[in-house]
Amino acid sequence: MSLYLEVKNLSVLYDRAIVLNGLSLHVNSGELVSLVGPNGAGKSTLLNAMSGLIKWQHDTLKGTVSGKITLNGSVKFDGAELINLPAHEIARKGIILCPERGRPFREMTVQENLEVGALFLDKKVADDNLEKVYALFPVLKKRSSQVAGTLSGGERTMLSIGRSLMSEPKILLIDEPSVGLAPLIKDSLFERIRDVQGMGVTILLTEQDVSFAFDLASRNYVISRGKIIAEGTSQELLANELIRETYLGL
Amino acid sequence: MFVSILINGLVSGAVYAILAIGFSLIFGVAKIMNMAHTAFYMLTAFLILGAITFLDVPLPLAAIASIIVAGLLGVVCYKLCFDRIKVHETAVMIISVAIAMLFEETILLTFGAQYQRIPPFVEGYFELGGVSILNQHFFTAGASIATLVGVWLLLSKTKLGMSIRAVDQDREIANVMGINVTKTSMQVMGISVILAGVAGAVTAPTIMVNPLMWTNPLVIVLSAVVLGGLGSIKGSAIAAFILGYAETLVVFLVPDGSFLRGAVSLIAMVLVLLIRPEGLFGVAFEEERL
Ligand SMILES: Nc1ncnc2c1ncn2[C@@H]1O[C@H](COP(=O)(O)OP(=O)(O)O)[C@@H](O)[C@H]1O
Ligand SMILES: [Mg+2]
Repeated sequence: MSLYLEVKNLSVLYDRAIVLNGLSLHVNSGELVSLVGPNGAGKSTLLNAMSGLIKWQHDTLKGTVSGKITLNGSVKFDGAELINLPAHEIARKGIILCPERGRPFREMTVQENLEVGALFLDKKVADDNLEKVYALFPVLKKRSSQVAGTLSGGERTMLSIGRSLMSEPKILLIDEPSVGLAPLIKDSLFERIRDVQGMGVTILLTEQDVSFAFDLASRNYVISRGKIIAEGTSQELLANELIRETYLGL
Repeated sequence: MFVSILINGLVSGAVYAILAIGFSLIFGVAKIMNMAHTAFYMLTAFLILGAITFLDVPLPLAAIASIIVAGLLGVVCYKLCFDRIKVHETAVMIISVAIAMLFEETILLTFGAQYQRIPPFVEGYFELGGVSILNQHFFTAGASIATLVGVWLLLSKTKLGMSIRAVDQDREIANVMGINVTKTSMQVMGISVILAGVAGAVTAPTIMVNPLMWTNPLVIVLSAVVLGGLGSIKGSAIAAFILGYAETLVVFLVPDGSFLRGAVSLIAMVLVLLIRPEGLFGVAFEEERL
């Protein structure tokens, strides 16, 4: 297997606060990798940096306090460097972010949200993809003409995964999919993420819920204060007393 | 009288709606509070006047060309001024006032301060329910409503419209879904100014054009945006119609009402800000959009 996605020495500073501190990780083609760590460890920042959002914030907010962002290091996808690409070009290469809590376009209908995902594909392909997404998430079909702002938390997460799938992504970056969901919905989401992987999509997901992440992923990273402090399969990580107690709280 | 109120309200409401939608669009997409929006409306009227008097261009052609020139000028302003400083929202507002003043002074120097007339697109009048209504008024109403329908189709049925709405609602997410936000912002600036130009072109023959004709519509647009809820495109359009009819009612029903006309939208704006600052349909000012 080739090195599909490779993050090397990635650093992000908000003003002088170091949020990512020379972080490195990789994801192979077809893999489902998880990144677990506590609140504030830098998980969202990592995914945002990979999808170009941090660069976008840096460029757009230049000259304001929130624009004082330093971004260093390398993010390579299939051999091509992404770190200096604008977010929309990263997306068009097939790297799609499913943000924390879904962040649907709240005033659009569910179907319109999905259509935004396939804006750059032919109508015919977009229609096919819509069918596929509806088959995967029947609840979205049921709610297709409902305004997305009225969806529940689980539905929003499913909508954001569906929206990403519309664009035929190569790799999904899913940010804390299980956060705030009821156990039953969590289980169903778990299965759907499996299905997405089964469709051949490579996945990197972040989680605070260690068991949710470990049961899904074939390989895991543990992040703490902007650094990867451990890596391995679930068994390997759980076998390590220190990591289990200090970082995973199990 | 009823018919007059109906038609006059429709004419003003539809024109205000075009102006308000253009203003809301560029604010929603690029966070640009463009105080020069109605200056483009004024500018278009004078471009038409210039084209028909100095260049002898036929009126319809002059109108279309002027709208396009205004749109291009809008994009130039975006590139030269707004794009560089758009993160500083206050600076954007100040620059836009400066642009409006620049337009006003330029027109003043070129055309003078006197009120001037632009011939109607269609001559004659029409008898309806005992009152005669200028065909030009029907034309203005018809063209405005056609434009509103056009905007609605653009926003709801086209890929560009879908991108615009996505950026309007969440710039960051639009970005990571592959939409080029910078490009979309520039396109919206063009569309926004073209809408102001259309409003200027269809209104010009119904009023006396003069270099100060942008200030009153600006107040109305701002009121419509406050009334409809800052950020709500649909809300500002509906509010524009409400203001159009409110003004017309005051003019027709209140003795000496035409003197009060300009005050109507100001009063509406103050009342809304005091009683319901989030507007009729919009999000509260505090609840900033991303
Ligand atoms: N825009 C920002 N400005 C300043 N600090 C930020 C910003 N975004 C995140 N941070 C800080 O970065 C750290 C990591 O945040 P985040 O990546 O959201 O963590 P996680 O997703 O793991 O909970 C936090 O301490 C947070 O306060
Ligand atoms: Mg997070």
